[in-house]
Amino acid sequence: MALRSSCTAVGAITLTNVTKEFSLPNGQRLRVLENVSFEAPDRSFTSILGPSGCGKSTILNLIAHLDNHSSGTISVGGDRVGFVFQQPRLLNWRTVADNVTLPLEGRDLESKALRALAEKYLELVGLGGYQSYYPLQLSGGMQQRVAIARALAIDPDVLLMDEPFSGLDEITARKLRQQLTRIWQETGKTILFVTHNISEAVLLSQQILIVSAKPATIFKRMSVNLPYPREYGDLKLFELETQLTRDFLGMEEETTRSTKGT
Amino acid sequence: MTTFPRVLSIASLLVAWLILAWIFPPTIVPGPIPVFKAMGQNIMSGQAFYHLYKTLLRVGLGLVLTMVLGVAVGTIMGLSHKGELFLDSWVMVGLTVPAIVYSIVCLLWFGLNEAAAIIAIGTAAFPAVSISIWQGIKAMDMQLVSMGQAFHLSKTAIIRKIIFPQLLPHILASMRYALGICWKICTTVELIGMSSGVGFQLNYWFGLFSMAQVFAWTLLFLLVMFAIEYLIFKPVEQRLTRWRSGVPALQWAQ
Repeated sequence: MALRSSCTAVGAITLTNVTKEFSLPNGQRLRVLENVSFEAPDRSFTSILGPSGCGKSTILNLIAHLDNHSSGTISVGGDRVGFVFQQPRLLNWRTVADNVTLPLEGRDLESKALRALAEKYLELVGLGGYQSYYPLQLSGGMQQRVAIARALAIDPDVLLMDEPFSGLDEITARKLRQQLTRIWQETGKTILFVTHNISEAVLLSQQILIVSAKPATIFKRMSVNLPYPREYGDLKLFELETQLTRDFLGMEEETTRSTKGT
Repeated sequence: MTTFPRVLSIASLLVAWLILAWIFPPTIVPGPIPVFKAMGQNIMSGQAFYHLYKTLLRVGLGLVLTMVLGVAVGTIMGLSHKGELFLDSWVMVGLTVPAIVYSIVCLLWFGLNEAAAIIAIGTAAFPAVSISIWQGIKAMDMQLVSMGQAFHLSKTAIIRKIIFPQLLPHILASMRYALGICWKICTTVELIGMSSGVGFQLNYWFGLFSMAQVFAWTLLFLLVMFAIEYLIFKPVEQRLTRWRSGVPALQWAQ
């Protein structure tokens, strides 16, 4: 039932009727994803927006092969998947540059080439000159930028980001969001971005998928046809945000009602 | 800035010794002069090197055995729940049995030889190492492992680059602690069943009521242990944990 393929156009992610169940210790099966279908076109920026703990991260884990789905099809246009987690997940005993090149070490590259790649991607995330620092010498925002550089260094076909800015203070998060838009435009990566922050989703994405909780399913799909760079405080963004918030609350109400009904 | 408290601490120890030597007769607390004189004699006669060598060899081999057993048992306990349930009581027994019991049992079973001494040291000291490694594995950041999996690192790469570096501080700390235990057990074994080593010398001079010699041998061993601590352990630890410090690293990968 569960199929994977990588024959679609490079960079695109397509999920068709993907369902994921976990077995509980008491023998029952817990369904976390139900019939999730969506498409993220090549070079697009798609956000998955949903309440905390609704199973949005599971979608990313399935795409990154960290977990297997129960049924449905997942196709990713390429094997190389970059992942940025909620926490930086850096190896604190390695320098910043050695962290960035960690996923490349299995490949047959000279140390000079590795160093050049580290330099290139650190430059891209605005951390040029920090190669020889250790992660604990950097602020949380800088650490997360190192994590982004690490994900980009493998030249991924798709970049998966799991609430990457939710652990940062708002000012730092805002700066990083602006940087992410720039990086996305410069590199042309397909980005799938999980968040529970409505204004973040509106600011960054071309496509927003609203996900309901337990089991997660796509409740609504929405396009954001506004030009980049987008600015905080833009009225059009604010309007969209208000509308999305209304949808979100409507969804919560609906799910509560349906749970009561059963 | 760190040297001053150290110098002060050693100086205060010397002063305390001088005061005690002044209060008590030399048969109970000999002063520094007769003790250093005795030490000088031992060194000049070559006795010091011979017995020190014997003890260090036993401690060194015992430490190797301790670390191999300790890391193996600790790893099994950390990784497998069944292993934990099975080995838990073993380690508790190992920790509870007094070290002298291991010494007596090994000497009776294996005879008055080197193997008995090394086995006694290894078995007595390894439970403490096991517990430290076990805790280290439990405290490991598994999110880093899943990061490695997300980036398609091979199993060996994950063990070598993500798991082992997280265990290294625990291995190092337990090794330091184990060295102290090994030395204590070694002297006990030498005292009751060996005809060489620092423990044997302590017993010999105890029989002759020569407090100056007992002090001289103890002091000699202390000096050697200090040298190991400051010339080997401290620099290695500093090198391995420099990423914790706030100082930027030296030029990267020159």
